This record gives sequence, C-alpha cells and structure tokens, in this order.
Amino acid sequence: MIRTLRNPAVALGALCCTLFATGTALAQQDKGKAVYDKVCVACHSAGIAGAPRLGDAKAWAPRIKTGIDTLYGSALKGKAPAMPAKGGATDLPDADIKAAVDYMVAAAKDGGSGAAATAPAAAAPAAAAAAATKPRPAALSFNRLLKPASKRNPPPPEDGIHDPQNDGTHALQPPLQVFESLPRSNAGNRVDWVKALDNNLIAPRWDRTDPAAAPVVMDLNIVREVKGSMPDVVYPHKQHTAWLDCSNCHPQIFIPQKGANQISMAAILLGQKCGVCHGKVAFPVSECRICHSKKKNVMPVKNAQAN
Amino acid sequence: MRLRHPRAPWRSALALVAAVWIGSIGTSGEARAEYADVVINNYSDAAGMRPVIFPHWFHRIRFRCKVCHADLGFQFKAGGNEINMVKIIDGQFCGACHNGDIAWSVENCNLCHSGKPGTPTQVHESTIQKLAIQPQAGGQQ
Repeated sequence: MIRTLRNPAVALGALCCTLFATGTALAQQDKGKAVYDKVCVACHSAGIAGAPRLGDAKAWAPRIKTGIDTLYGSALKGKAPAMPAKGGATDLPDADIKAAVDYMVAAAKDGGSGAAATAPAAAAPAAAAAAATKPRPAALSFNRLLKPASKRNPPPPEDGIHDPQNDGTHALQPPLQVFESLPRSNAGNRVDWVKALDNNLIAPRWDRTDPAAAPVVMDLNIVREVKGSMPDVVYPHKQHTAWLDCSNCHPQIFIPQKGANQISMAAILLGQKCGVCHGKVAFPVSECRICHSKKKNVMPVKNAQAN
Repeated sequence: MRLRHPRAPWRSALALVAAVWIGSIGTSGEARAEYADVVINNYSDAAGMRPVIFPHWFHRIRFRCKVCHADLGFQFKAGGNEINMVKIIDGQFCGACHNGDIAWSVENCNLCHSGKPGTPTQVHESTIQKLAIQPQAGGQQ
C-alpha cells in the first residue's frame, strides 16, 4: 500500500476509481429512492396488507436473512398475499426494481443499527460522499418559508400531525394513492376537485344513504364588479350547487340579494364570506384568477403623448 | 411577563417554554398534513386520548359537502360542533355514518384519534395558518 502510494499516478488512479465507485453507488441509491417514492411507497410506507414498512428493522430482518436474491425475486415476480410483480409497475426495468429493493434494505439496516452501519465497505469514501450529500442548513435553502415539492401530500405517519406511534395512523390511506388518479391543481390538496367531479372521476353521494340521489344544480353566474385593477369576479352557482345546499350559504353567509353583501379580500383572508370555505377546504385565495376572471371594459388609454 | 414579575424567574421560564412549545406546534415546518385536515382537540387531550384528525379530502371523495354541513348539521368551524362520543354513539355527527352500517363503527378508536398529543384544534394549511407571520401562536380555530 505504501509502495503504491509512493507512485502518484497509481494513487491518483486509485482515488479516481474510489470516487467513481462512490458516484455510481450514490446514483444507484438515488434511483432506488426515486422508484420507492413513485411505486413502493403506496404500501411500504404505511405497511398496507402486511408490507414491511420502510426503515422498520424488525420487520425487514427475517426477510433480509433470506438473502438479497430472494428479495429481488419477490419484488420482481411478486409475493403472496399482496405484493404484485414489480409492485405493479411492470413497465419498469428489473434494474430499477432491484435498486428500490437495495434502497429499502439499506433503510432497514439504518433503522436497526444507526446511520453509521449503512455500508461498512464504503467507510473509506464515506468522507467524500458525506461532503457531497450533507444536507445544507435550512438557513441556506432556496425559500426557507415555502414548503418544498418533495414534502407535499405525505402519507399520514410522515405528515407531522398524525402520531406515528399510533397503530391506527398506519392503517389510514396515503393521499397520493388517490390523488395520482385525479386532475391536479396548483394549490390546496393539489387536486382539482371541481374537475374531478365534472369528469365523473369521483362520485360523492348527495345523500347519506341513497347513492342515486342527485343535486339540483343551478346554473346562474353572479358578476361582482370590483374596485381597482383586478378583473371582476364571476361567481358560478353551478359548481357550488353541485357540492352544497342553498342553506349552507344563504342567508347566514350571503344575503341572497344582489348588492346586499359587503365582501373584501381582507374578510376572506380572515375566514369570512368566501373565506368560510376558500382557504380552508375549497381552493385557496392564492388562485386569484379562478374568481377574478372577467376582464374589465377599460377605456383605451391615450399614451401617444408619453411616447 | 418578565417586566411585571421580576422576582419570579420561573414564571418567565415557564412562559418561554410554553411559547416555544406552542410555537413549535403552530408554526413549525414539520407539520405538512393535507390541506383541510381538521384537528379536533376539544376534549381529547384532557381525556387522555389522541386528538381527532378529520381528513376532508377522504370524505369529499365519498360525500358532497351538503351531506355533513346541511343534513348532519356540522358548522363550518373547526371544534365548533362540541362533538363527544355520546352524541356519536347516539347517531349524531360522525355517528350518522360511523355506525358499522355506512362506515366502520366506533370501536376503531385509533383511526380517528390519531393525532399527536397536544396538537391544537385547527384547519390544517388554512390561509391564516399559511401566513408567513402568524397572527397568533398555536394556529387558529
């Protein structure tokens, strides 16, 4: 070893090899995580149908003992009672599925014996890897007050509100399992609920017990002229009466008479008027133009003189 | 607090701990549950149960707003309905469906009572909660 190190060229080569190997290992790990986040997470996060949960050392230990090839086999071909072949993502190449298995096995070992025991063989390049993967302090994050995309719609045990110590938490449905089949939006649950209903992707009951009951939808738009430069508000009864009863809004929140209601964005932000639902359960106030949608008839501005 | 009670440092210390604790619940970046998840903690903490978390997203796939908010009389206010287990067992509020007939029954305590102990009553991710500067610590009603 000492002799090797005396030769700078060989030493450099060895270093490069180590770095390259580390790089590939990291890339492989990232791929495994990506596949896990996309496919496996649906069951292996919450432990649905007996699936061993990610990082649950106890559940994984007997499985790991059977050998990595057995695990690869189970993942690729499926396993009774509930594991489908390739976790249902049959279009993925075998290598991706294997990477995901590696990722979950590594996570289980992490969970069991601490982060230090991840890969004893990789102890030497660990220092270099740590420099590359070390998470930046929160103070340096791109927008420290904004929720990053990776933290949207987490499964209940990871959402910070549900108690992961509670067995019931793990039986709850992870939202993404449903949301992936629904039209997306840019805010709220990131689901366009109105579109989901219009396209018959969901069939929420209008009556508690009668699945056939249907609402009487009222198709009437109310235009509210607003001060300032924002486009006027068009309020559609149609989308609202598809979900709600007249008595939900009238007369307590809105007097059913044109011009009788004082509405301001300040009131809405504080949870009054439209804000009783919008900003709590219906799409939030960040989606200005869904409501402010009618262009004003502005007098043409003579700007010839300005030029 | 400190100015008014210079001789009771434990009070300011307690207030500080409480402020940090409440702040960590209401404003921490940790909590990232679904938009419109309602935490109801009117009586749970005091009764030694976990707070209830009601997922709007799950229910609105199955029922329109009208069923609960018009037919069953749920007010549009988190914690504003004074729901307790007796009412539920008697078929009011959640009990109108969670009766073993339309939906699973009350014996599944931990499916509803699944919140972290001490989580205050709130509409999660509501506009007021999302303001960068909190109007008050500990979220809102």
